[in-house]
Amino acid sequence: MRLDFIEVCGFRGFRDLVRINFGRGFTVITGRNGVGKSTLCDAVEFAITGSIDKYAVEKAAKESLSDYLWWRGEGVPNAHYVTASFVADSGNPFTITRTRERGSDRSPEEIHAALCRGPAPDDALRQLTRTSIIRDEWIAALSLDLTETERFDLVRSALGALEGSEAGSRAREVVTAAEAAHAKDEAAYEAARSRLADRLTQQSETQAALSRTGDVSGALQVIAAAAPDAPTELTARLAAGRSALANGRARLGRMGEALQLGREVVAAQAVYNAPEAVANREGASAAHEAAQREHEAAQQAVSEAEQRLVREEEMDAMAASLSLLVEHGERLGLHDDHCPLCAAHRTSDEFAAGLAAARRRITSLASGVQAARDALASAKENARQPSLTLQTATAAVQAHADELRRLRDQEAAHVDFYNQWGLEHRFIQDPDGLEHAISPERDRLIDLERALLVLEASQAVSRMSSIESNISALRAEIEKLAQAVSQSQNAVTAAREIERSVRRVSAEIIDERLAQISPLLNELYQRLRPHANWRTIDYSIRGDVRRFLSLKVGDGLNPQFVFSSGQRRAAGLAFLLSVHLARAWTPLRSLLLDDPVQHIDDFRALHLVEVLAALRLDGRQIICAVEDPALADLLCRRLVSTATEGGRRLDIDLGPLGATSVVTDQEINPMPVGVLRGVATA
Amino acid sequence: MDIFTKAEILLRDAQYETWTWIASASPVTCFENAALMGFVHVFDSADGLLGAWKENQQIALARHAASLRGAGAKAWNVYSVFLTPDQDARRGREIERIEEDFSLTRKIARASITTPDDVEKALLPLLSIRSKPLLGASNFETRLRTRLKDIPPDAVTAFLSETTPAEIARILGATS
Repeated sequence: MRLDFIEVCGFRGFRDLVRINFGRGFTVITGRNGVGKSTLCDAVEFAITGSIDKYAVEKAAKESLSDYLWWRGEGVPNAHYVTASFVADSGNPFTITRTRERGSDRSPEEIHAALCRGPAPDDALRQLTRTSIIRDEWIAALSLDLTETERFDLVRSALGALEGSEAGSRAREVVTAAEAAHAKDEAAYEAARSRLADRLTQQSETQAALSRTGDVSGALQVIAAAAPDAPTELTARLAAGRSALANGRARLGRMGEALQLGREVVAAQAVYNAPEAVANREGASAAHEAAQREHEAAQQAVSEAEQRLVREEEMDAMAASLSLLVEHGERLGLHDDHCPLCAAHRTSDEFAAGLAAARRRITSLASGVQAARDALASAKENARQPSLTLQTATAAVQAHADELRRLRDQEAAHVDFYNQWGLEHRFIQDPDGLEHAISPERDRLIDLERALLVLEASQAVSRMSSIESNISALRAEIEKLAQAVSQSQNAVTAAREIERSVRRVSAEIIDERLAQISPLLNELYQRLRPHANWRTIDYSIRGDVRRFLSLKVGDGLNPQFVFSSGQRRAAGLAFLLSVHLARAWTPLRSLLLDDPVQHIDDFRALHLVEVLAALRLDGRQIICAVEDPALADLLCRRLVSTATEGGRRLDIDLGPLGATSVVTDQEINPMPVGVLRGVATA
Repeated sequence: MDIFTKAEILLRDAQYETWTWIASASPVTCFENAALMGFVHVFDSADGLLGAWKENQQIALARHAASLRGAGAKAWNVYSVFLTPDQDARRGREIERIEEDFSLTRKIARASITTPDDVEKALLPLLSIRSKPLLGASNFETRLRTRLKDIPPDAVTAFLSETTPAEIARILGATS
């Protein structure tokens, strides 16, 4: 199958209807920059896929390719459509028309059916155009400049080895599903085991209960006595009995506490009332009274000494005044034989005797103060010991009073405890009686507990058979679940084995196919001869999950980094052409090249022309757009044109209104043969 | 290995007509197909090639001048092939540079031509694509089935059909 014609109208730079009839052998299209050579490649791609891949990611100012698919220049086209027509080797045509208004007249499935065969890759139509149309901008980008992973994916897609990837993701889903099922089975198994453990514990407990079976009617009487208001239903009666048992235990506990308190009170009373203690208290009281008396007497003596001192001090003050008066009188002397102080008639002797007598009297008045002071000090000293004795005696009496108070407090707390817990008051003063009362109460509770156990044991008989049957069912269930776990584990193992095998088989297929196209890659590389020194190119594949395809020249060198721009493009072309030729999944034998010789020198451009000529010799249809007319001439001479697979050359240019049109459309006839022998025939 | 003979075999296989013309000094193999024509010159030594290629080219063109004048555009497609078994590496590069001389004819000039493979590599520009990888069906399913011989066939069939992953996991559990 090859391209027959392309017809465009109102598409990108083509306003008017333009139809390009392709030569079955080759077509060389020339034109200046910007006249629409690339648009013809775009049109073929757009017809097949409905998009133009080289613009797929380009977006500017919220505009995208779709805004520029159709004519936007002056004038109005008669229509907006692209038609690409293919012709099969049998002569049957297949035409796709995409209009602006209605889209494609062919479904993607129809196009796929016509242009693909066998195990086509995912997104096959896009892969078809990617590997059929070699554009200037893709030569480096889709070959040497690709990451090694992208390069691997491109080659894998071109090879059509798609089963592995699809089966790979499917195998992963199966592994996930198997793991989920296994996890679920394991959870169910563990839950069943846990339930069995619970039942076995229950069984042991029930078994123990069974061993305690006894007189059920006696037990019922005991419980009835303990809980007279309990319902007759057995479970309720058991509950009431257990409640009574709990209450009884609590009461017994409190009685024990009360007994302890009572014993402590009695002990304290005994200590307090002991004869020695009584004698102590009486002695202390008597000593206190005696000390009190001594203290009071001493205080009396002190008081008296203080009063004497006051008196003496008053007399002393009076003596001092008199002394001043006597001295004043003495200084004045008799005045006309009269005393200056009392105006009495005195003689000098009498006056002197009077003064002397006054002085003696003053002396006697003043001399008592010191004695009084000494007496007070002595009295105070005498009072100190009785005071200390009194303090000691008072402290002893107070200690006995405190002891009594504590005893009374203890007795009161004892009574309060009885009141708080409703215990019988008769035992307040009778701990022994209380102790006697506790003993039968304890016996009663023991009997009650035993009765309860007997009654529970009677229930355990019926429960036991239920538990045993439950355990038996659980064991059977666990057996089944364990088997399910084992099976699901096997399923996981098998699923992983499938996943591993899928990955390995896919990898092996791709490796084999790459090995199969390796000679082709090398041949094209040798034909294009990008580098004078490195005559061969090798590839290597690595990685298991993510796979990498490395290209190497010389001693493991990456051509991406050691080649010049032109050499990289030549090596890239070799790579892309080998990918193109390796496709087994399409009947389309057309190779479109959009200006493939940019940045390539004349020598290597010649190699490219020779490679294209070699492809022509294999019956491939070559469609090549170039800018250089001389190169177009070379292509037209070098690509073989035969009677059945002729060549064409078209020159396109812009018309006066900016629309592209075909300026010349020339058929390239077959060349004469037998030239060198001199028998040339056209 | 006779370079002339090997070259003729290859060219004839590639649908060229070939014949030998005895020039004054040495034989020349002539070849022609629908688009190309040319002459194969073989030299004993690299020095001999480097010294005589221009003259040999000239002689061949002169000998066929009349025919070439009537060949139209085809006259541009004349190849001069200069080959020598001499393995002088230093001169080998010098010989290859002859190819960058675009005057009169397209040249193919190579040294170290000692094996049939060397002849084929030298004549590649005249030949169709030699490597034709046969990428048939990958037989993925068959290979996977063979690889999964320990997995029950029912499960493998389910995996290769539209069965859901959960169902495949169930089948794997039931049959493993």
